Amino acid sequence: MAEERIGVFVCNCGTNIAKIVDAGAVTQAVKEIPGVAVARSYKYMCSNPGQEMIAADIREFALSRVVVAACSPRMHEGTFRKAVEHGGINPYFLEMANIREQCSWVHDDPVAATEKAKALTRAAVLRVKYHEPLEKRSVPMCPATLVIGGGIAGLTAALELAEADQQVYLVERQDRLGGNVARLDLTAPYLDSARDLLRDRVVRVTRHPRIQVLLESRLVELKGFVGNFRPTVKTAAGELLHLEVGSVVVCTGYQEFDAARVRQYGYGRLPDVVTSFELEVMLRKGKVETRAGKKPRHVAIIHCVGSRSREFHPYCSRVCCMTGLKYAHEIKSAIPDAYVSDLYVDMSAFGKGCEDFYKKAAEARTLFLMYEKNHAPEIRLAGTDPEDGMLITMKERLSGEQIEIPSDLVVLMVGMEPRSDSDEMAHLVNISRDKDGWFIESHPKLDPVATTTDGVFIAGACQSPKDIPDSVAQARAAAARILAKIDQGEIAVDAVYAEVREEYCSGCRVCNELCPYTAIEYDETARRSHVISAACKACGCCVAACPSGAIKARHFTDQQIFAQIEGVL
Amino acid sequence: MAVRMNPGLVEDLARYGAEDVTKCFQCGNCSAACPFSQDPFIFPRKSMRYLQMGLEDRLKSSLEPWLCYYCGECSVECPRGAEPGETMMSMRRWLTAQYDITGLSRLFYRSWKAELLAILLVSLLTGAGFLAFGFLRGGGNLSVYDGPGAFLPADAVHVFDWIMGGTLLGLLLVNCLRMWHFTMGDERSPRVPAGAYLRHLFLLPWHFFTQKRYAECREKRPWAMHLVLMLSYVTILVLVMFFLRDLQSGPEIRWRVHALGYLASIGLLTTSILAIRGRLKKDAPYHKHSHVSDWAFLVLLVFVASTGVLQHVLHRAGLPAAANVAYLVHLMGVVPMLVVEVPFSKWSHLAYRPLAMFFAKLQAEALLARAGKPAPEQKPQLAT
Repeated sequence: MAEERIGVFVCNCGTNIAKIVDAGAVTQAVKEIPGVAVARSYKYMCSNPGQEMIAADIREFALSRVVVAACSPRMHEGTFRKAVEHGGINPYFLEMANIREQCSWVHDDPVAATEKAKALTRAAVLRVKYHEPLEKRSVPMCPATLVIGGGIAGLTAALELAEADQQVYLVERQDRLGGNVARLDLTAPYLDSARDLLRDRVVRVTRHPRIQVLLESRLVELKGFVGNFRPTVKTAAGELLHLEVGSVVVCTGYQEFDAARVRQYGYGRLPDVVTSFELEVMLRKGKVETRAGKKPRHVAIIHCVGSRSREFHPYCSRVCCMTGLKYAHEIKSAIPDAYVSDLYVDMSAFGKGCEDFYKKAAEARTLFLMYEKNHAPEIRLAGTDPEDGMLITMKERLSGEQIEIPSDLVVLMVGMEPRSDSDEMAHLVNISRDKDGWFIESHPKLDPVATTTDGVFIAGACQSPKDIPDSVAQARAAAARILAKIDQGEIAVDAVYAEVREEYCSGCRVCNELCPYTAIEYDETARRSHVISAACKACGCCVAACPSGAIKARHFTDQQIFAQIEGVL
Repeated sequence: MAVRMNPGLVEDLARYGAEDVTKCFQCGNCSAACPFSQDPFIFPRKSMRYLQMGLEDRLKSSLEPWLCYYCGECSVECPRGAEPGETMMSMRRWLTAQYDITGLSRLFYRSWKAELLAILLVSLLTGAGFLAFGFLRGGGNLSVYDGPGAFLPADAVHVFDWIMGGTLLGLLLVNCLRMWHFTMGDERSPRVPAGAYLRHLFLLPWHFFTQKRYAECREKRPWAMHLVLMLSYVTILVLVMFFLRDLQSGPEIRWRVHALGYLASIGLLTTSILAIRGRLKKDAPYHKHSHVSDWAFLVLLVFVASTGVLQHVLHRAGLPAAANVAYLVHLMGVVPMLVVEVPFSKWSHLAYRPLAMFFAKLQAEALLARAGKPAPEQKPQLAT
C-alpha cells in the first residue's frame, strides 16, 4: 500500500488544542511516516479556509487519503468528509484523530500530551491506508403508515397523514375509537366538552377514504425495517392481515392506576370512594350522588393517587391537578351548596390558562388542603352506617394541624401508568421502555417522537403522562416526520454497516438475537443470516459475536483496526 | 388529636365581613408585613388558614385577632387580595359573638336588620320610658329643665345610669370570663400560675389607657385618633356617672366639669366625623371595608355627641322645653348605643383588647418557661 499519498491536517482549534499539544511538532512527526505526502497545521481546520486547504491539497498533491487530527468525529467527521469529497476523492478515505476531547482537554502535561497526539495521529495515518471506497445507498420508502391506537394521539396522527393523501391503517384494540379521552366529560382548563373534541375527529377518521380503521384488532407481528415494514394485524374476525407500511406510530396511551392498591383510601370497601373516571361517568349522566342516591354535601378530592409516591409510581401524572380543579368546578355547578375540599401534595398548574383556573377554583371556595407526599390521608366511616358519611384524617401542612374532614363522597385522582401490555408492545415494535415502563424517545428534548428504531414513532401518553394538547402536538410532529420521509421517496442508508459474508456463515443465529436493532434476518431456505443494511446502525455487536468471523463491519475491518493499534503502539 | 373541620365556617364568617379569605394561598407575606406578628403569635397567616379550613375550635381559642390593630399593611402586601386585615377584623366580630353568652351579638352581626331593629326598639322604649317618667314621677312640666321640678331630675337619671351601667358591666364581665375560658382554658394553651395573673395585672389599665401597642404601628395617626376618641368617651362617662348633677345644672357654666365636657365633646365629634369621612372616601386600607356594625357605631356616636351638645346649648340659650326634648332624644341615642354596642357589638373591644394583650403576655411567658428560657423584654420587635 506504499503507493497511497496521505495528507495530514493538524488543527489548533484556536487554543483548545494548541495550548497543550504542540501542533507543529505533531505535524513534523507525521511527515516522517512513509506515505505522508503533505502535513500541515492550521488554526481552525473546520473553517471554510481550512476545508478549502484540504480540498486544494488533495488536488495539488494528488492525495488519495486524508487524516484530520482535530476534535471528535462526532463533531466534524461529516464536515471533513464533505471537504474530502469536494477535493475529488471518496469521502470514506478520511480518518480523524481525536486530539482534543481525548487529548488536549483531558491532559495538562504538554510534553506527554504532544506525544499522545503524535501516537493518535500516527494510528490514523496507518489506518487510513486500508480505507475502502464506500458508497451511500438508498432503499425505497413505502408511503403507507400503521398507527397503533385510536385515542386522541392516534386519531390525530392518522388524520394528519391521510389529509396529506397518504394511506393509513389505524389499529384499535377496542370496539370504538376515542381512547381514554372518550371517557371524559369536560376538559381542563377551558371546560370544553371532550365529546365535542372527539366527535369531529372520529367522524373524519371513520369516513376518510385513505384511512382503514381496524377495530377490535391488534398487531401481532412487525417485520422489516424503516420504509419497508411488514406488520401482521389480527382483525376482529380473527383473520391475519398482512400489511406493508413505511412507518409505524405507536399511540397506545395509558391505563389508570388501580386505586384499590392504596389501602387507606378504602377503594372498593367504602361505597362512596370513587375514582376520577367513575366521577366522569356521574358527571356525564348529570347525576353526582352517593351510592345511596343522596346529593353529597361534602366532597373531597384526593390528588396524587398512585403518583409521586415512594410505594407506587414516583412520577407525576401531570393531568390530575387540573382535572381535580375541573371536578371542583363541575361539582360546584351540579351541587351549588356542596363543600369541596382538594387534598393535594403540590399544585402543578403549569400549562396555558391553568394558573388562572387554579385561582378561579380558590375563589369558588374550593378548600385546598396540603398533605405530606409520603403520608397520605386515611379514610374511614364516620359511624356504623355508610350513609353517615366518612371522615378523612390527615396532617395538614400549611396549618400543621391533624384534621378530620367530613365527607360524603371522595374522589381519587388516579394517576396514569403504562398499559399492562406495554412490554409486549415494546417487543413487537422493538422500542425500549424506561424504568417506569413508558416508551423511550430518541432524545428527551430534541427528538421526542422518534425512537431507537428508525421508522417507529411514539406519540401521546404511551411515552409519558401527557395532556390532550401535548398528545396532539406529538402526534402531529410524528406525522410531519413521516411525511418528510415519504416526500423524499427513499431512505438514505449510511455506507457504514455490517455485512454477512454468507460463504462463512454457519447459520447459528447467535447474531439474530444479539442485534439491538433487529437488523439481522435469517433466511430459512439458505440457512444463512443476512444484515438489513438500512436497519443496521453499525454498532458491531454481531461482528464481535460471530463465532465464524463471518460478519464484516464496513469501515471497521480487522485490518483497519489492527493498523490503528499498531500506530498507537 | 384531630380537629374536626367545619367547611361552612368560611361562609359564616363572610356574614361578619370576611369575604376574601378563600383567595389566600398562604404565602405568608401578611405575617411578614405585620409589625406585631411575633412568636408565639404569628398572624394573620395562621388565623387565615384556620378560618379557611373551618377549624372553629382553634379560632375560638385564638388571641391573635385581638392583637391586630388593623393598620392594613398586610392587606396592602397581600398578592391575592385576600384582605387579611379585614379578615382579622371579621374574626374579632365573630369572636365577640362567640364570647357573648346571650347570642344577641351573633344575631346583630349577622343581620343588620336585627341590629337596626334592636337599636330602634331600645330607643323607642327609652323615649317612652323617660317621657312617662317625666310626666308621672318627674316634674311633669316639659319646660323645666333643671333644679327642683325638673322634667327629668338628675338624681333619677343618675340612678337609671347606674343600674344600666351595672347591668352592662355585668354582662360584659360574663363575656370576658367566657373569653378567658375559651382562650386560657383551651386544652392547648399553656397553664398559667395565678401569681402571673397578679404580676401582670397592671397590663390591663396600661393597655386600656395608653393603647401603647397601637402606637407601634407604622402610621401613628390612627393611634392618636383612637386615643382621643377613647379618652373623650371615658371623660364623658366619668362626668355622667359621677357629676351628672353638675353637668345638668345651669344656666351658669361650671367650668370644673363643663370644660372637660366641651373638650370631650369636641374630641368625640371630631374623631368620629373624621372616621366617617375616611370610611366614605376609603382613604386607607383600614377604611376600605365597612361592616354595618362599623357604621352603626360611628353614626350613633355622632348622633349622641351632637344631641348632647344640643341640649346643653339649648339649655344655656334659655330654651328649657327644647332642651328637654333634645335631652330626651339624646337619651334615645345613648341608651341603645350602650345597650347594643358595649356588650354585643363593636364597643366590646374596649374590654377584649386589653384582656387579649394581658392573656397573650401570660401565654408567651408560660410558653417560654416551659421551654426553659427566661422571659424576654416586653417590647415587641418592630418591622422596619
